Formats: sequence, C-alpha cells, structure tokens
Amino acid sequence: MTAAIPSIALVGNPNAGKSSLFNALTGARQKIANYPGVTVERKAGHTSFADGRPISLIDLPGTYSLTPASLDEAVTRDVILGRQEGEKRPDALIVVLDAANLDNHLCFALELLALGLPTVVALNMLDLAERDGLTLDPERLSRELGVPVVPTVAVRKRGLTELLEAIDGAIRSHQPREAVAAPQNDASLHQRARALATAAIVTETPVRRWTQRVDRIVLHPIGGLIILLALMFVMFQAVYAWARPPADALEGLVGSMQQWVVATLPENFARDLIVEGLLAGVGAVVVFLPQILILFLFILLLEASGYMTRAAFLMDGLMAKVGLSGRGFIPLLSSFACAVPGIMATRAIPDEKDRLTTILIAPLMTCSARLPVYALIIAAFIPDRTVGGVGVGLQGLVLFGLYLSGIVGALAVAFVLRQTIARGNAAGFMMEMPRYQMPQWRDIALGLWQRAWIFLRRAGTIIALTTVVLWLLLSFPRAPDGQSQVEYSVAGRIASGLEVVVEPIGFNHDIALALIPAMAAREVAVSAMATANAIDADGDEEAMAETLGERLQGKWSLATALAFLAWFVFAPQCISTIAITRRETNGWKWPLFMVGYLFLLAYAAAGITYWTAVAFGLG
Amino acid sequence: MTALLANVLDKAPLGVAVRIARIDWTAMSEDEGRRLREFGLLEGCEVTPRHRGSIFSRDPLALTIGRMQVIIRARQAAAIEVEAIVGRGGAA
Repeated sequence: MTAAIPSIALVGNPNAGKSSLFNALTGARQKIANYPGVTVERKAGHTSFADGRPISLIDLPGTYSLTPASLDEAVTRDVILGRQEGEKRPDALIVVLDAANLDNHLCFALELLALGLPTVVALNMLDLAERDGLTLDPERLSRELGVPVVPTVAVRKRGLTELLEAIDGAIRSHQPREAVAAPQNDASLHQRARALATAAIVTETPVRRWTQRVDRIVLHPIGGLIILLALMFVMFQAVYAWARPPADALEGLVGSMQQWVVATLPENFARDLIVEGLLAGVGAVVVFLPQILILFLFILLLEASGYMTRAAFLMDGLMAKVGLSGRGFIPLLSSFACAVPGIMATRAIPDEKDRLTTILIAPLMTCSARLPVYALIIAAFIPDRTVGGVGVGLQGLVLFGLYLSGIVGALAVAFVLRQTIARGNAAGFMMEMPRYQMPQWRDIALGLWQRAWIFLRRAGTIIALTTVVLWLLLSFPRAPDGQSQVEYSVAGRIASGLEVVVEPIGFNHDIALALIPAMAAREVAVSAMATANAIDADGDEEAMAETLGERLQGKWSLATALAFLAWFVFAPQCISTIAITRRETNGWKWPLFMVGYLFLLAYAAAGITYWTAVAFGLG
Repeated sequence: MTALLANVLDKAPLGVAVRIARIDWTAMSEDEGRRLREFGLLEGCEVTPRHRGSIFSRDPLALTIGRMQVIIRARQAAAIEVEAIVGRGGAA
C-alpha cells in the first residue's frame, strides 16, 4: 500500500509544456514554496481522481537528464531519486513529452523509465505537433515503451481525465522492480530515442515553419535589436502610463481607510500608530502593486510566447563582453520590477561565477521601489519643460538617465568582478530556443496572482514592521515644548550622528533621517520624510498645506537633490534583497560584499554629483 | 563529391545543412559536452546553422537540429567539425 494520498511528480524536458499541464491539472490549488536549503521553487498542488480520491502533484524543474547542470536541475534529480531533504519520493511519475520533439525528449523519458517507478507518458502539445505536420501513433509508442501514453493538450484541458485514469491504473498494477542501470546519454541512447520516435510518427509532411520566418526578422542582427529596444520602450512606458489610474485608486483607498480610523477610534497612541505608522507606511508601498503587476505581465507574456529566449540570444553578445551570458538577461530584466524575483531567477544560470556576478549586479537595475524616490525629487527639482525642441521632456530625460546610469554601472561592475573575484571560464550559453506559442491567459493570470501575493506579503510583514519601528523612534522621547519632535526623538539623534558622515556629499539632516529606515526598503525614504515632516509641521496649518515636494524645494539645494538621486542609483537599501542574496549564496560573505561595494559606489556617485553641481554654481 | 570541408561549424554558412563529422570534446568542459549531447549534437547528425549574434558580436550561434532549435557559443561551434551532406544541398 502506498500512503493515503499518492504524490505524483511531473517531469520532463524544458519547453515540454510541463507547467501548463500542471496548471491545467491543479488550477489555482497550488502552493509555491522553496525546497529547504536551496532556493529552487517547489510548486505543489492538489487534484483528485474521478472518484474523488485526492492526489498531490509536484511540478519539477525541466531538465534534459538526471545529470544536473544547474541548481534547479539538481532538485529534479534529487526529488525523483528520493534524496531531496523534506520531500518524500514520488509514488509515480508523469513524464511530459513535447509531441513535436519526440526524438530529443524520449532520451530523458528512457532514462526515467529505467528507474522503475509507476510511470505514465503525457504526449503533450499534440495540437502544435499537428500544426507542424506530424501525425503520431500514441498506442504504438505505448507498446514500445511499455507504459501508458496519453495524448494531452494542456492548454485546452484535453486528455487530463485520461491521464489521471492512466496514472491511477499504473499505481495499482505496479509491480515493484529494481531500477535497471540508467542508460548513458550518448549516441546509443539517442539512436534508441530516434528509432522510437520514427516508429511513433505515422506521417510527417515537411511544412515551412513560420517560426523560422519570424525568427529571420526577430533575430536579425540589427532589426532584431531594434525590435527588442522598441519592446522594452513600450514596456516601461506602460509601466508608468497604465499604472496611474489603479495606483491613484489604491492611494484613495488608503486615504479613506485612514479617515475611517481617525473618525472611529478615539485619539490615542494606537490610533496614531495605525494612521501615521501602519497605514501611511504600508500604503505608500502597496500603491506600487499596479506597476509591479504590469511589468510582470510583460515579462510573463514575453516568456510564455517564447520571445524571451530570443531576447537572451540578442543580448548574449553584449553581455559576453563583460563576462556574463544571455541567460542573465532574464533575471536582470525582472530586476527592473524587483531584484528579489530577479535574483531568484538566476538559479537557471549553470555557471557558478556567472550566476554570482548576475546576483551581485541585480540590485543596480532600477527597481520599482526607487520610483517613488525618483518621482518625488524629479517633480520637485527638475523643471517641467521640453528640451531639444522635439517634445522630449526634461523630467523624463533625467529619469531615463537614472535608469541608464544603473545599467552602465552594472555592466562596469560585472566586468570588474569577472576580472577579479568572480574570475572564471568564459560563461557558457547553451539554451534550447522554444517555438513561438500563444500565451495562455490562465497561466499568465496564475503567475500574476502569485507575484501579487508575494509582494503583498512582503508589504504586510517587513515593511509594516519597519514603518512601525520608525514611527516609534520618531515619536519618543516626547520633546519638551519649543523643541522639534523630530530632532529630539531617538531617530533624530541617530540621524544627527549619521549626518556627520554624509555631510561631505551634500546630504542634510532630512536625508540622514530618511536613509536609516530606507534600509528596509527604498520607498520608505519617501514615507519617512513625509512622516518626519508631518510630525515637524505639527499643528502649523500653513506647513501642513504644503506638499512634501514643496517643502523640500524650500530646504534643499539643487545640488543636494541631484546627489540624493545619484545615491539611490547605487545604494543597496533593501532588506529583502540582502536576505535573498544571503539565501541564494548560502552565507553572509556575498551579501556583505554586495552591501559594501554598493554603498561605496553610492557615496562616490553622490559625492561626485554634488561637488560637480556645486562647481557649476547649483549649490 | 564527398568533400570533407575540413571545416568547423563556427565557419559554416548560415542556412545550409551540414553533417557533424567529429567533435573535439576536450575543447570544452564536461558539463558543456554533456549538454551538447543532450541537445542531440552527436557525430553523424545533421544540423543547420541559422542565426548569428547581433551587431555586438558573432556570438552566439542558433542552429536547427531535428525539430529543435538550440543556441550555443562560437567557442563550442569551433570544436565541431562538419562536412557537406552529399547528394542534397540547401536548407533542411
């Protein structure tokens, strides 16, 4: 007897449509966590047999064989062999094959079949194979392999019932046997796979594949790059343009919640804590949810359509010049939304040094948490006019310059790291290029929901906590009459100490005060300045009426504002990023190094900006 | 004509199918070699180089093998000796 709830693992090559099949089988009933000790995502879900008996499913990272080349491939091997800590060996396997790529995918299938676990083969994406002019004989393949073969079209939910039925049967009728020696992934294995594929293919009409025609344009040495740049441009435009209405709505919602609390609770310590601390702080972060979702929408669409690998192909040459590979492009692009998922995405990079370098430069991509800081300062200090007479806004230009500084800085740092501490072989770049596919709304929606959930959980924990702590530090001890509460508070005194260090680069007390809580998350710099100014203004109606930007205009010089922007291009002010780096690199060495070098760069960049601006008379 | 091009995949023209004559496994790491084999790049099989880098660089190289398209680096392609396919020219 197996355990009460059988656990079944989905396993197969990359691009076999495994995740779509997993999503189709489990729907939204999935849980994403990490395997203990490693940061590879563990995707588990539930479904049930036709008679209602529950089964648990896990979706394993795609790989080509049981000999791993990267961290996530190692997890696949360890789970299947029952070696993964905290994970019981699956009771049965569903081997997912791309019906249009049998001769390659059958190699891994043969290796898996040799293990002797109850196994069913899902002949997936049969519709695409037919589009490519292939007619297959699943029964023939089943006879040759000795296990059930079920044709499936995950995106249309075709074949799912049959698949579950077959796996039920396979578990019931399974005769335990010793695993036979795993076949070597060599010429003989490929020959067997090819022979099997040939036997399974009934007809094969050569069709001119439109994928190749599209690739001739998309992968054109110059045209392809222009298309990629245009896509990136549209993406970043959309992040700003589309996010505004929902962000405004969220802001309104937070505002009305604050009013409701003020109107409902009596004036006391708890009310101030909720309104000024919790709601103001968490609210200031939650308004970025629309931007993050839009960015992820683009990234998920680019990935699901098969374009992302083309982008990696185009960027590989440039990235190779600084010792990285095209593989790093996807994590770095994700880092424009947030470095945390970006750093997590580096686990697909096989080369250790390549991966480490990509992790260390990921925080230099301008993440969405910097936006509120940039937006506040640019709106307050950069005049809203066009330059060059072609309608290019100066404010937008400055923002673009900040993004560009981050990218150039990242490439320079990568180059230096690869020559020094992360020195190693020239990174390899070997990847399968998937066929183009229409993204499935169900997979995209599920992906977006998972991202939103991760983001909101972060806002509800780390950011909520730091905001409350900051509020407490700003509110105590109570200043005697006639003295500034902000200056008198614990936070104010710490800031005065820090001010000595940052004064040479043009930073004032306001900034020193904002920098400390902004260690938790960059966007907290804005809410910290807002809170400090609110407490400072206490009761002064004229001061209260001014916006934060207006107040800063009165207190800061342009040189200081520019130095502040330059600081945030580099400063590693994000606890989540540091924590994820520690987890991904298995220790404190690299996160500490990252924090150190980024602070040095930030200090230097802010200093150079400030001194240059002062020299030009902007101080 | 059974011309051995004495040529490597890295130098082969785009869009023309060639047969892999010999692979110098010592020119690459063990992992790289295994991944090449997992892609199905083995002596005797036919591949068609398709696309090549961007204005930045000749790297990487995309090629068709069977019904798959894979990306490798020029350094690996330089370790793969190819020969012309006899009796039938043009793209696969």
